[in-house]
Amino acid sequence: MWAQIFEQLINGLVLGGIYALIAVGYTMVYGIIQLINFAHGEIYMFGAYFGLILITVCHIPFWFALPLAMLLCALLGMLIDYVAYRPLRNAPRLSALITAIGISLALQNLARIIWSASPRKYPPDLLPSFFVSGIGKTGEVINAIPLPGDGTLPYRDVFILLIAVALMILLNLLIYYTRIGKAMRACAQNAVAANLMGIKTNAVILVTFAIGSALGAVAGVMVGLSEVVTPTMGYYKGVAAFAAAVLGGIGSVTGAIVGGLLIGIAEVFGADIHSGYRIAFAYIIMILVILIRPTGLFGKATSKRA
Amino acid sequence: MRKWFVGLLIIGLISFSGCKPSDKTTHNATDDTQKAQQELKIAVAAPITGSSAAFGAMIKKGAELKKKEINEAGGIKGRMLTVLFRDDAGKGSEASLVAEGIANDKEILAVVGHFNSACSLAGQTIYDRAGIVELSPGSTAVNVCEGSKWTFRNLYRDDFQGKFIAQYIDNVLTDLETVAVFFDNDDYGRGLRNAFVAEAEKIGLTLVASEAYERDTTNFKAQLTSIKAKKPDAIFISGLYTEAGLIVQQAREAGVTSQFFGADGIDNADFLTTAGSLAAEGTYITTPFLFGKDDPKAQEMVANFEKLYNVRPDTWAALTYDAVGMIAEALEKTYKPEAKLAENRNAIREHLAAIDTPEEGYTGVTGLTYFDHNGDTVNKPAYVKVVKDGKFVPAEKQLVDMK
Repeated sequence: MWAQIFEQLINGLVLGGIYALIAVGYTMVYGIIQLINFAHGEIYMFGAYFGLILITVCHIPFWFALPLAMLLCALLGMLIDYVAYRPLRNAPRLSALITAIGISLALQNLARIIWSASPRKYPPDLLPSFFVSGIGKTGEVINAIPLPGDGTLPYRDVFILLIAVALMILLNLLIYYTRIGKAMRACAQNAVAANLMGIKTNAVILVTFAIGSALGAVAGVMVGLSEVVTPTMGYYKGVAAFAAAVLGGIGSVTGAIVGGLLIGIAEVFGADIHSGYRIAFAYIIMILVILIRPTGLFGKATSKRA
Repeated sequence: MRKWFVGLLIIGLISFSGCKPSDKTTHNATDDTQKAQQELKIAVAAPITGSSAAFGAMIKKGAELKKKEINEAGGIKGRMLTVLFRDDAGKGSEASLVAEGIANDKEILAVVGHFNSACSLAGQTIYDRAGIVELSPGSTAVNVCEGSKWTFRNLYRDDFQGKFIAQYIDNVLTDLETVAVFFDNDDYGRGLRNAFVAEAEKIGLTLVASEAYERDTTNFKAQLTSIKAKKPDAIFISGLYTEAGLIVQQAREAGVTSQFFGADGIDNADFLTTAGSLAAEGTYITTPFLFGKDDPKAQEMVANFEKLYNVRPDTWAALTYDAVGMIAEALEKTYKPEAKLAENRNAIREHLAAIDTPEEGYTGVTGLTYFDHNGDTVNKPAYVKVVKDGKFVPAEKQLVDMK
């Protein structure tokens, strides 16, 4: 019983770590330009495809493919901001929101045209061998840590958790201890005032998109490692990560991390209660939190802005 | 200016993606009219894209091979057969759009399809209203042919398949006593699960867990952890190959040692690549058809298929090959150039509905096909395949006598 709960908790943390990586992208962009970037789920999907193409077509080893995929996604995120959102910076918010939905659809269909709709898998023989887990010839689960009871935790999932935690720490260091982080916080507080103080807001926004998209790419590659890559993969995890960002308080990076982990754990235990409504339990928790604290767990009361 | 530009861009993108199917129809309609008059057109509706796309690829190849053979033999009454492929993406919502398009096309005489049960059901009412035959080479949900005289299929139903799987586990894999079901929460997965569970309980297998998942989800760890705690001897996956492949992979990673059993929705080589050969090894599945080594008709089709495409045909290619053959035979016997579209469509239906005894049955590569009053095929058996050395091979023991 307790062993099973512990195993589910680990399942939830791994899933939640991925949600947190994606949720950070939603929340950072919202914090600075008050735009819900619906295309972010698609950036995550492109990250998974970039990793796949770099490994299978360009034959680049995994350890170089991951940072390259992050770089490509960062460029994609910046391109989207430059082409689609920057021209609408002073337009009503609804215009930008509709544009975001449009970009999301366009990217999803673009991926379908380029890579077809069939699910693809990162080929195990091109990955570092400790990522490939399963029951070996001896009957023992290979490349995995045994858990109490008869559970196992693949090394790959440990890696996913570690990289998620490491990136979150790095992100917090970046936001609170660097010049660009300070500039980002300044823009989030008041973009006009920041601009008057000599901060190039457009450049800061581009950096924000780049960082969020690079983290999305990591999530995409991690999911590619353990699951499959499809053009519509951005939908399920994108919506769940968005819910995580809202639950944590949209605009708050810490909130997105905590929200991601909570949604992941809620989804896993929801499956224990009734598997058909697995993700619904996560949303119910989100709605309850929003009802009690409309700004989310870590959200600040929104100031009225002109 | 910029706003205008972005607006135009979005409108352009939307209309670009929305117009694609109709582009094809206009293209076909503007074909040389002389040629068009001499062609007989049928539609094949299948999941060309989406999570069942690997089935669609085989269905397309099977239909094209049959078309090629018919046309090389002189066509139907001197007219060439044309097969138009329509993509339903394996989704009911897309299938109804595709069905509307086909029903309103003044040149399409009959439909081979759909594949996914949810798609056949979505198309059923539309084809019924328009009066055009829907002959499915893949839908097995029990109620696919119910309620419309226009719907037929050339393979077994899930009430049979579910019962068969339970009896196979009970009679052939005798050391398996407790079973768990992990099912896709759609028409196919639920129907098959119900049939399996009913029979399993009747014959004394112990059902220890029944968990659901949604199509297109890719993380099954939570449900698998619950199932694992119940320690079932066997886990029956009632769903399609992509999800099943991931389930088997993730189960082995979590240390689940149970025997896996799947149904015909897993009968595709993509299951093996998704699961990985190590995890997939030993999985049993059912299939409506095996290419018998001593069956000259089947072996001839395999040879022609391999010559054309360089891959081995699968069950679905063979069933589609036969379905196109049946429609072609109906056209050969009933088509009248001077008759109206509705009359020709109806004549096909009457021809198929009259095939209701073994003597009148159509002999194709998948054996004898004839229909009951519903349009169902009830005579065809099920077979079992097992994954051995990374390939699907016929299981050593088949279950011939069902109780």
